[in-house]
Order: sequence, then C-alpha cells, then structure tokens
Amino acid sequence: MDAETRDKSQNQGVYIYQGERPSKRRKVAPTDHPHSDSHCFVPLLNGEEPPDCVQLRYDTYKKLWSEQERSIQEILDEVDAGVLTDVLSFVQTTSPETYNGCIPTALVTVGSNVSSLTRLLSRLNEQLTSSGNGGVVVLESGDAPNLKTTLKNIIRAAVTNTEGNDGYQKFLTDRDGPRLLGYDLDLLYDHVQRNGTKKLVLALRDSEAFDPSLLTDLLSLFSSWLDRIPFTLVFGISTSVEIFQSRLPRSCVALLQGKHFEVQEAGNCADKIYEMLQLREGSRLRLGRNISATLFEKSSDYFQSPEAFSHMLKYAYMSHFFANPLSVLLAAPAPTISSPGPLCQAIRNLPSFRVLCEDLAENGSAQQVRRLLEDDDHLLQQATQHINHGQETMKGIFQAVSILHTCLQCTQTMKKNSRSDLSIRALSGELSESQTIEDMLATLKISDSEKLRTLIERLADDNPVPGISEDFQNLVQSNAEAGPLQSAYNVNSSVVKTTVEQQRVHLSKGQAQLSAQDLEYTQLINELIDGLRGYFTANLNNPQDLPLHEVFLFDLRNPLKETFAPRPRFAIERALTSPFDYLISSSDVSETRISAKQPATAILYQLYLESGALINVHDLWQAFRAVFESEQGDRCDDRVVMALFYSAMSELKTFGMVKNTRKKADHLAKSAWMGL
Amino acid sequence: MKRKRSDSGLEEDHPAASTPKRPRRTALVPANGALNGAPNGDAPYELPPSQGQSTPKKANGAAATPLKESGLKTPTHKSKARGLFATPTKPKSATAAPTPSRVRNADRSAKKKSARVLFEPDEDGEWDGSERLAEEILQDDDDDDEPEVDQAVESVEAREDSAEQPPEKEKKGPKRRAGRPKGAKNKRSPTPEGELPAHERYFFQNRAGPMKTSNTTLNKVPLLTHEEYFEKLRQYRDPCRDEKDYLRALHHRSFPQWAFELEEGFNICLFGYGSKRKLVEQFADWIYQRGAQSPPAIVIVNGYTPGISIRSIFATIASAVMGDDLPSKLGAQPTEVLELLQSVLKSRPAEDPVTVLINSVDAPPLRRATNQALLARLAATPGIRILVTADTPNFPLMWDISLRDQFNLVFHDCTTFAPFTTETDIVEEVHALLGRKGRRVGGKEGVGFVLKSLPENARNLYRLLLTELLSVSDEDGHVSDDESPADAAADLKQHNETGIEFRMLYQKATEEFIASSEMMFRTLLKEFHDHQMITSRMDASGMEILGVPLSRDEMEGVLEDLVLA
Repeated sequence: MDAETRDKSQNQGVYIYQGERPSKRRKVAPTDHPHSDSHCFVPLLNGEEPPDCVQLRYDTYKKLWSEQERSIQEILDEVDAGVLTDVLSFVQTTSPETYNGCIPTALVTVGSNVSSLTRLLSRLNEQLTSSGNGGVVVLESGDAPNLKTTLKNIIRAAVTNTEGNDGYQKFLTDRDGPRLLGYDLDLLYDHVQRNGTKKLVLALRDSEAFDPSLLTDLLSLFSSWLDRIPFTLVFGISTSVEIFQSRLPRSCVALLQGKHFEVQEAGNCADKIYEMLQLREGSRLRLGRNISATLFEKSSDYFQSPEAFSHMLKYAYMSHFFANPLSVLLAAPAPTISSPGPLCQAIRNLPSFRVLCEDLAENGSAQQVRRLLEDDDHLLQQATQHINHGQETMKGIFQAVSILHTCLQCTQTMKKNSRSDLSIRALSGELSESQTIEDMLATLKISDSEKLRTLIERLADDNPVPGISEDFQNLVQSNAEAGPLQSAYNVNSSVVKTTVEQQRVHLSKGQAQLSAQDLEYTQLINELIDGLRGYFTANLNNPQDLPLHEVFLFDLRNPLKETFAPRPRFAIERALTSPFDYLISSSDVSETRISAKQPATAILYQLYLESGALINVHDLWQAFRAVFESEQGDRCDDRVVMALFYSAMSELKTFGMVKNTRKKADHLAKSAWMGL
Repeated sequence: MKRKRSDSGLEEDHPAASTPKRPRRTALVPANGALNGAPNGDAPYELPPSQGQSTPKKANGAAATPLKESGLKTPTHKSKARGLFATPTKPKSATAAPTPSRVRNADRSAKKKSARVLFEPDEDGEWDGSERLAEEILQDDDDDDEPEVDQAVESVEAREDSAEQPPEKEKKGPKRRAGRPKGAKNKRSPTPEGELPAHERYFFQNRAGPMKTSNTTLNKVPLLTHEEYFEKLRQYRDPCRDEKDYLRALHHRSFPQWAFELEEGFNICLFGYGSKRKLVEQFADWIYQRGAQSPPAIVIVNGYTPGISIRSIFATIASAVMGDDLPSKLGAQPTEVLELLQSVLKSRPAEDPVTVLINSVDAPPLRRATNQALLARLAATPGIRILVTADTPNFPLMWDISLRDQFNLVFHDCTTFAPFTTETDIVEEVHALLGRKGRRVGGKEGVGFVLKSLPENARNLYRLLLTELLSVSDEDGHVSDDESPADAAADLKQHNETGIEFRMLYQKATEEFIASSEMMFRTLLKEFHDHQMITSRMDASGMEILGVPLSRDEMEGVLEDLVLA
C-alpha cells in the first residue's frame, strides 16, 4: 500500500506531503525525538558532546551573528542613506507642474549592485506610506507580459500596498456604478482620490528587461492620466542612461523629465562589511586567510550584491558553529560545562595545543604541561585565557593593517595596495617585515613635514607612536614661517662633492648644512619610523602561530567555495568518467578501464567520449554490448544490456550531451565535450 | 576548388585522388597557390567547378586524358608538381626553397617514383603491389612529417576536411571504396596531445571532419518496447547497489545541516549525477518526523511532470498555508496567487514556515525563464523555504545574478547514481532520439492490428495511401540518386518528408470508390490519425501533405499484408 501511494505521488505534479505512514508515526512521535528544540545542531565528537554544549554552540552562534547582522545592516543603510535622501527629496519636491507637464522620472543607475534598488524602494515605500503621502509600486519585467496585465498588476499592487489583499477584493466589488475591469486606470484614479495620494511612485526595477514597445504604450498612457493620477517614475538601470534612452522612441522620451542618481558600487560595501566584521569589538570569531581570499575573489570575479557577500559571511559563521565542537569556547561569559571530558580531549588533540605544549616543555615548564594534560578545569581556564589573548592579537593585526593602509595612502607608492589584499597578507603572516612595509618606511623617511602632517592627522587617535603628534605640532609651530621641514635623508638635503684626485673623480656624499629645526625633525622622523616598525613587528603576528587559533579563526576554504560556487558540470563528468570516486567500492575495481561493474551510464559516457562529433548508434550499441559480453560471457542477456543501454542513452539526452541529427540514419550528434 | 585544377595541375590532383594524402593536400592547395602564385599562375580557373565534380567517372576520365596532352613528364612540369607535392606536409618550405638532407633526397626520389606509379594507374585493373607500395611510401612520408605539423596546420586540415566532404561522399562508388583514405593518418583521438588551454581544446574536439562513422543502422536490431524494457530491467542486478546505498546514507547524514541552512534563511540546491527524488522524499520524511507535535507544511513539486504549471504550484502552497481558509477563487495569473500567498504569510509571521521541495527544477516544464523568475520570487518570500534539485550539468545558466540573489542558494553535491526512472519516459526518449518517434503504434504489427479492426473502406484507403507513397518515394529516390548523394540520412529524411497531397489522395479515393464525399474521406483519415498511423503537415504553399510514420520496409510489409489479406 505504501508503494502504491508513492507511485501516485511521483506522477503528481505538486502535492502536500502527508507523511509516509501516518498511523505509525503518531505512535512513536514524541519519544523518539528528544531534541524537540527548534534548532538542528547535531552532537559532535562522535555524538559524545553533551547536550548543553550543543545548545550553547547554537546560542553563541545566534548571539554573535545577530550582532554582526545588525552592524551589516547599519553599513548598508549608511551606504544607501545618501541616495535615499536624494531620491526621497526628488519625489517629494517634483510634480508634473514643476516639470512642464512631463512625468517626473528618477533614473537610478545601480550597476552591478542590483539588490540596492530593492532596499532603496522598500525604504522609500516605508517613508511614503508612513507619511500617508502615497506609496511605491514595484514592477518587474516578469509582471509585464502585455499592457493589460501590466496595468492590472500596477493597480492591484497600488491598492494592496495600502489596503491589503482583502482590501483589493473589496475595492473591486464594493463600487457604485458599472463594474470596471481590472486594468482600468479609472480604478486607480478612484483609489488615489479616496486616499488622497499625492505621490504614486512607480518603480521599474529592471527597466532594461521591459519590452520597449510596451514601455512606450505604458508611458504615453501615464502621461495622459497625469492630470488625475500623480505618477512619479523610478527606473532602475543596470547599463547606462544613454543606452536606456536610446531604446525608447524620442516621442516617448519627451514625456519624461527627471534626474539621474547613482548607487555606490557593491565592491565598496563588501570591503566595508569585511573590515567591520574583523575589527569590531564584539566579533569573537574571525575569518582566516583562505576564506578571506575566497570571499574577495568571489566578490571581484563575479557581480555580487552586498547581501550575497554577507550571506557568505553568515555561512562561514554557520559552518564554524555547526561543525566545530570547540566553538563552544567562544561563548561570551566563559561557559560552565557540566562534563568537559570530551571537549578537553578535543582541545588536547589540536595541533596548536601540541605546539604550545612542546614550547612549554622546551622552556622547562614540564609541570605546567602535565597540568594541562591532566587537569580538565585548568585546561579550560587556560584555553579561555589563550582565546582571549588570541582575540586581542587578532584585533591588533587588523588595527595594524588599517594603520598600514593609512600610511600607504599617504606615502602614495605607485602600487595600489588594497585593504583586502593587505588583510589577506597579514592573515597569512607575510606582512610583517615585508617589502611593502620597508618601502613605506623608506618613503616616509624622506618626506617633508607637509606630507607628514597629513599622515599624522589621518592617523589621529590610532597613532601607534604616542606623543609624536604633540612633538610634531610643537616643532612645526616653532617653525611656522620657514618652508616645510626636510629630513636629513632627503636627497635635496645631501650634497654630492666632486673631488679630482690623481686624475680620478671621487664622488662623495655629504650632509648639507641642516638647520637646527631640520635636525630636530629628522630625529622626530627617526622616532616615528622606529615606533612604527616596532608596532608592526609587534602586532603583525601570524595568526596560525597563536595557540588555539582553531577556535577563534575560521579558515576552511572548502565549505564556502563549494557551496557558493559549485561546479555541477565537473561533478557530473567526474561521476561518469570515474564513478568509483563516488562509489567507494568494496571489491578492487579501482582500475580506470571501462568495465561492466560500472553503472551503465558511466560506461556509455566513456564510450561516447571516444567518438567524434557524429555517433553511429548501432556501433555505439555494439561497443556497449561488447563491454558486457567480454566480462559476462554467455551469461550476458542481450536484451537486458539493451535495456541498460536505453536508460543510459536517455540520461545522456537529459544531460544535453547528445541530440538527434539528420545527417545520417541512426546517428547522434555530440553536443558536449568533456572538461570545457 | 580542388577539382578546378585538374587540368593544369593534374599531377598533383591525381595522386591526391588515389592516395590517402588527398584530403590534406586539397586543403592546402588554395593556400599554397596564394603563396607561390608565380609558378602556379598559369593554372586556368575557367572550368566550372561542377564539371569535374558531377560524377567520379568523368573526373577520372578528364584527368587521364590531359595526362598525356599536357606533357606531364617534362621537367618543368614535374618540378612544379613537386613543389605542390611537398607543400602539404611542409607549408612554410613550399615558398622558401627547401634544402633537403640526403636522406630526404632519397625519400624524394622514391616518392617521385611512387607518384609516377600512381599517376599512371591502370584504371580498370585492381590495385597491384607496386601501387600499394607507392602508396605506402607516400604514406610514410606523411607519417614522418606528422610531428612537424603544428596546431595551425591541424586546424587548416580540419577545415579542409570539411570542405572535402561533399566530393568525398559523391565518389563513394563501390569501386572507389578501396581507394578511400584508410584514416590511419587522420586518426582522431578525442584527447588532444599535450596540455591545451580550454578554448583550444574546444576547437580541437570540435573540428569538423569527415564523417568517419560506419553506415550500419539499427534496422536489424529489434528495439525495445515499454513492456520489454521494464521486464528486462527487472532482471538486471545492479553491481553497485551497496555502494549506492552507502552514498545515500552519506547524504542522509547531511539532513540536519540542510535543515539548519533552511532555518537560517538559505535555500538549497542539490546537484550531481543521479536522480535525487528519493533523497528528497526521505528528507521530507525526516522533517516531517522531526516536527512531531505539529507536522510542518511540506509541499513537494515534481518539476519533470509534463504540463505542470507554476500557478498550480503556488495554489498548492497557498492551500497548504491557509488550509480551509483558502478563497474559492484564486486568480488566474500565477503572480496573483503568489501575491495572495505573500500577503497571507506576511500577516502571520509567527507560523511555521512552509517547506517546498522541488524535484528537477531544471526539467523542461519549469526551465523557462519566466517560470524561474516566479520561483525565485517564491524563494525570496519570507516564510517559504525551498530545496530544489537539478539534474543537468549546466543548470546554473538558468539564473542570472538577480535571480541568484533572490534564490539565495547554497549548493550541495548530491551524486546518487540513482536512475531517472520516474523523471523520464526512457523508451520514448530514446526512440525520439533515434528518430523513431512515430512508432508508438508498434510499427508494422501495430498498424496491421489496427487495420484488421477497421472496415474495408479504411483498409483500402490505407492501401491506396501506401501505394501512392511508395511510388512517390521511388520516383524521388531515383532523382536524388542522380542529383545529390542520397545516403542513408537523406533516405531517412525522405521518409519523413515524402507525402502525398490531401487533394490528390482524395481524388484517387473517389476514383476508386473508397470515399464518396470529402466528409467521409476525412472521417476515415481521422481514424488513422487517432492511431497515429498517418502524419499530416502543411507544405510551403499551404497544402496539406499526408505521410506515414513508417520506414520503407515496413510500408512495403504492411502493403503486402493488405493486398494478400
């Protein structure tokens, strides 16, 4: 009976799942599933993780991510704020009257940042509806197959926006006079009059995707209703205003008048979000080198909205807390764990813990190592300390990166070092004592006081060399009249002496006479450079060297890369060419040759790979049969093999690898090539 | 192009015709001519290309006679011929006089001799030993030079090969077959030598070439019927069953992870080889059992179902959400239903979310861009969690950046190796692929069976139809043999396309007193239509053309039975 219901369901297009065995289910239901909490974290450590740890991991994840999410939202709001106020004031100040009877139009170029318009419009809608001035109707190209449907959709969206779905039904039925059709703009006029709408903003989110002739009809219609319905248009443009304009006939463009707004590119947002995430006081989990590289690679190689970027960050958080039992140690007040045994065992197995113990043993504190290995409570306490220390160090690293970035901006080296680049290098521990820092310091050495001033002003509070700012101020003030101060390392302040001695020219560099202030300035520069160098060496540690970095540094490339940038074609090709990569076989069929032990489709696919652009089906069938015949000999039933051949063939067709051809009888055309 | 030269440069043309080298040479000749225009300048191009090409016989004759007239053996001509001869293998040295080594010189002279042997073939005689030897020498020469041929030449060759195709086909007389290129030289391996960048590999794999497939057809192989297919498949024991089960068990272990991802607002896409329908069903079951107290709302969509509409999906989800509160009249447009759904979900955010599991989201019924856009909007709705499975290798192409944003998918490789038994009608698909779609009635037997149950009149009409069709295709076949290479493919095409005009058949039918009125005639035809025994289409001028979806042999067989009965 069970099989019967299954069979019925598989041929049904869509159905509500009612459970497999409704009667049986009721019996076992409550007892079988003790973790009736809403979350789905699984006990780790071979299932020995105590439930309170599981719960704690989940709670910590929730807490940390919700904080991060809030900050991300703030960043996005801040980024949008400029455009939002511009568009809002545009909508509120303009009217057909101010535009000589043209429809007021805002052209918003969003570029690759496609999601920003949605955010913008929803906030615009909030503002307008809350002030009771009107509302925003968002129209997508999918909503506009033809004029009637488009109008109907607009009217319905406008009405439901303020009155809800039931309101719309009521609005349609509770009318005096003759019943109007759903696409009659009289309905909208009625609605506008009833609600006293002053602004009806109609936003076309992906305006390029609309049919131009439809758009033309729509605009001329709006234009003729403009005296009754206060339309304002917002076009979302991904290409450029010129291209958009060139697609519309001139008569249509003449109906519009408006302004052009630009939304900030997505890349900036991603950088800002990343920086916030790594630098923020409360973020206890940081992202490592590999994952940062993946993140930035994706956001620079593909168009990606800031939301998509933050989704990836979220996924990184999720992965860490879902799969790493040690993440429980990140819980904000150091957690009290009832049975810490398995957890401590896990800590002791960490590579970084081993390094720590080896270091301790070498330094002669064997006693301490013994305690760490034997005393669970002590271990937990130490672990918390190490983690807190690690947090500080990580924060230091990112601060140093941000200071370095500021310095680099001021010294203006030719090469642009983006902040994300610097972060990635810092996370891999390459930045400390790197060429970049040396170059920067060298440039700093020879810069004059004017340049230094900008740097010191930019560093402001974060200045790693305390007191230098005041010294500098004093020095400059005392020397206000003369030109900018030069350091002794500057080329201009050294002179080249030429002496001829025994018919040889000797070039010797010497210090030009420097004023007392210049000398003082040189000293100050030296101080600053030493300070900076010391600061960078102290702070730019390699995160991989930190004890217990596995807990607070998430650095696995794979879950993120595979889940967000999948390679389905590769996966299918791999499954078909070397099926035993997936089917971990018990028998030793590891050889790569085609054999009857492989799934039929894999065999056929490998034969298919050997053929040219045209495939003779008969020959393919013969080859396929030969594979089975050679292995099974007489036991091989031709018709069974034929059935396998059929199913394999239909699968290749489903994958779009072969198609029918009329070039020759019983031939197929090959339409996909491996590895492209 | 190649044939045009047969008068002046016959020396190079002739060996080309009989040695395996030919395809390559012909391709290079034009290029070569352009390169050393001076020596070849006298080549007359006035011959229309068709003249030499019309029949193989003729070309040979033309080649044979001028052989003597033009004084082929004079040194001047020979050197010219040599120059041309050498070109195909060493494209560069053709213009810049080569400085061959001694060995090469020796080879040359052997080559020269062999070329001469081949130039003066005994047209009627069989290949004798000397010719074969000569051929081998030339062949060797080719093989030696093979490594020198770089990728560029390779591609030239490919192009040339394709250009070569029509004459090649045309020459495929029974006598000529022996002289066809053996293909040893042009052997194509699907994997290119060395490491090629992806785009080069594309061109390598995709280069046009002669259709070197054999002419065998499946006519002798009895195809499977649905019944036989299923019966035989039941007998098959999958050698990898345990491994597949293990693989499925591995995927099972991901269920909590998937649930967590859904809970956190991600939607899931499962890809990889194999049907994932079972897996999805088990996942549904898992979720269902988990929320033991109040069973969660789960909607399963089978995207492969032909004729499934987005509206019906939305309507089902709406009924899952609203239960008995579902308004009796939902909108006709999918967007209306979606908006209703969205507003309902918005009004009660506290409720449990609805899980929508879509099997084969990339199946043809759902593949269209508008459908995907609507699904994306559904996926973006708060309170809806979506898990989709995708079977084809290129499914991400369905979604552009904004759809991807709305879907907010995470991807998991869920290779199951399970057969797509429910998703596709396998027998039907394969038959469609082989161009035997119309054989639903069961070919000859099926038609015969249907005919037996029809009245006399209908049988006579079908007999008439078949007779007409066969006579028409006989005529056609005759003509096409002369005019164009009628090969098996063309043959097949003919079957699909030959037909008899409706009016004409009607006329004949009235003449034979089969049908007295057009109405009656149509009634008879309708019966055939219902059993898919005839096909009907409009030709360019708008006339209705009737045909029969049977191969020629089958048509003859049916006709025989009809006449004998």
